[in-house]
Amino acid sequence: METVKTKDSAPGAATRPQRQRQSNELRKIFLKTGLIPSASGSSYLEFEPSPALAAARSTPKSLIPPSSALKLACTVHGPKPLPRSATFSPNLVLTTHVKYAPFAARKRKGHIRDASERDLGVHLETALRGVIVAERWPKSGLDITITIIEAEDDRWWGDAPDSHDAPWGMMNVLAGCITAASAAIADARIDCLDLVAGGVAAIVSDGDDAAPRLVLDCDPAEHWSILSACVVAYMPSRDEITELWLKGDGSKAVLSADDKRLGNEALLDGAVDAARGAHTVLAEAVRESAERYAGLALGGPAR
Amino acid sequence: MSAQRQASSASQTPHISPAELSYLWSSLALPNNPIRPDGRSPTQFRPLSAETDILPGTNGSARVGFADGTQAIVGVKAEVEKTVAAADVSSLSQRAQEQFGENQDGEGKSSATTTGHGSWVQMSIEIPGYRDDDALPVFLSEMMREPLVESVSSGGNADGEMAGGLKGRLVINRRWHWRLYIDVLLLSQPLSYPLPLLSLTTHLALLSTKLPKLKSLGEEDPFFDDDWDAAEYLYPRSQSRLASALQLRPPVTLLVISVGENVIFDPSRDEIAVADTLLAISVARDGGSDALKVLSIRTVDPPSRLTQPGMPNAENPASLESAAVAEQAVNGEEIPGVWRPRRGGVKRNTVAKMVKLVLQKGGVGEEVLEGLEGVEVG
Repeated sequence: METVKTKDSAPGAATRPQRQRQSNELRKIFLKTGLIPSASGSSYLEFEPSPALAAARSTPKSLIPPSSALKLACTVHGPKPLPRSATFSPNLVLTTHVKYAPFAARKRKGHIRDASERDLGVHLETALRGVIVAERWPKSGLDITITIIEAEDDRWWGDAPDSHDAPWGMMNVLAGCITAASAAIADARIDCLDLVAGGVAAIVSDGDDAAPRLVLDCDPAEHWSILSACVVAYMPSRDEITELWLKGDGSKAVLSADDKRLGNEALLDGAVDAARGAHTVLAEAVRESAERYAGLALGGPAR
Repeated sequence: MSAQRQASSASQTPHISPAELSYLWSSLALPNNPIRPDGRSPTQFRPLSAETDILPGTNGSARVGFADGTQAIVGVKAEVEKTVAAADVSSLSQRAQEQFGENQDGEGKSSATTTGHGSWVQMSIEIPGYRDDDALPVFLSEMMREPLVESVSSGGNADGEMAGGLKGRLVINRRWHWRLYIDVLLLSQPLSYPLPLLSLTTHLALLSTKLPKLKSLGEEDPFFDDDWDAAEYLYPRSQSRLASALQLRPPVTLLVISVGENVIFDPSRDEIAVADTLLAISVARDGGSDALKVLSIRTVDPPSRLTQPGMPNAENPASLESAAVAEQAVNGEEIPGVWRPRRGGVKRNTVAKMVKLVLQKGGVGEEVLEGLEGVEVG
């Protein structure tokens, strides 16, 4: 189509970021625990900004930054006794609360949680409920609060919202939330079945003539359109998924010739691979947290 | 309050004793041949009654009732709304070109008119006993809206009218579009997880939805035929039996559970209470071919994780114990007949199996869609 070709070469148009990574290469993740001393456990997670952002900083072509990268903070309060007014619960009462900072996305979010934030909270709760051994803490509550400081884009900012306008950025945000919450729970010394990590895979199409392909950890700003994406919360040691969220039509994906999987199966496997990658970072962060704790126990400086 | 908070994403935790849970689980998990409390086969649905076009004040409506007394009504209303100019860098420059040279019109327009916006479809769900910002209604409406706006027909077979899926159909011209309000009302208490009921009702209501026939052409301000008999269906249909199978239809969301090795469809409340996994799978017919495709999959938090554990005799001071059993219990092993809340997640091959049972030819998905076709619409 001619309109597609003119899009990039249009005079004055800012250039669209391109994916520089291999299709199975993840962005680097920064994950640190214990930054919020008043909470019983906390973590901070950041995704590596895309190279387009660095390029735009050195040679700016537009006032608007080309892409954004996820930054979020997670706090865990508890396990603590339930309020007296609460009814008896034989299990740990898990409450998850995901909130975008008003300045997190390109469009301002209000202070009251909207439907998408509540939806994220429910997804996160599903992911964590499968990992926490709930009957170990009867009559207790655990509050997990996540503040998203910078969100992922749903598409490149220069594109008009069109038929592929679904909130794809939310899926990356959810994967980040799962990984960060898992680190914070471990930092709060709450024992779990395993460290659960989040991963995203997507079937993307770059331009109208390119065949749709599978990429891990996609940045929605780097692709023309995303056909389908999948988030999982994955426990490597048990090879189990506690949360699965797949959306979009992945039946048109072109996998390699000897690959007989359906689009959705390939997506699921891709997301699990991405989660395995995130798990290595998570394990390292939790080890750091444990070392810090051991240092404290041996009479080190109070944090 | 906390009990309700706990049960946010799935339905309420049922009040069944651990012994009953264990009995139910083991009869549902019997290899290859699960025994369900109501005697259905694993893929059999509960009988339901359905009617459409029941509310004269709406563009389309439907009522579905299950035999257990749960009922839902869906009303679809459409409004004409002005499209806010899309802030697209490329279209801005395109517009500038058009103003100067007016060189390209055909292609630019066609691409602009086939796309719509997902926010033009609004869905609200009212469930008695829940506030409208509680997790369950929010989760349900997102779960049902997602595949609806997602279902872009990709096959070339679906003629121009439905090219961009539902969103494309809502575009009137470049400046005007339809906004669709889908209001779902659950009339009874949610006895089981209400998703299948609400999804089927929404499907039927959308099938019966009609929009007034457009009289104006192209980029004029929209002007409609005031004859309601001339109105066109939102999801266009043709007379021939063969072609109707290939037409775009709204997606359906099915609730599937796995218990042990078995996969069970349309679970009742008690069956959900013991499910190891609870998945909501949305399917629709592919535009070009007869096959089905998955539009979305979501895990729903199974209430079995929140159930109360049973106590083995060995730990019960009221009964006599044997040393061997006591040792087993201390090791935290599973004792047959004693209920333990489920832990952990779902294996990948279980998910694949569940999806395959929905998608395969002559499988459950096709059966449900055919059953819905059979409901007299209009």
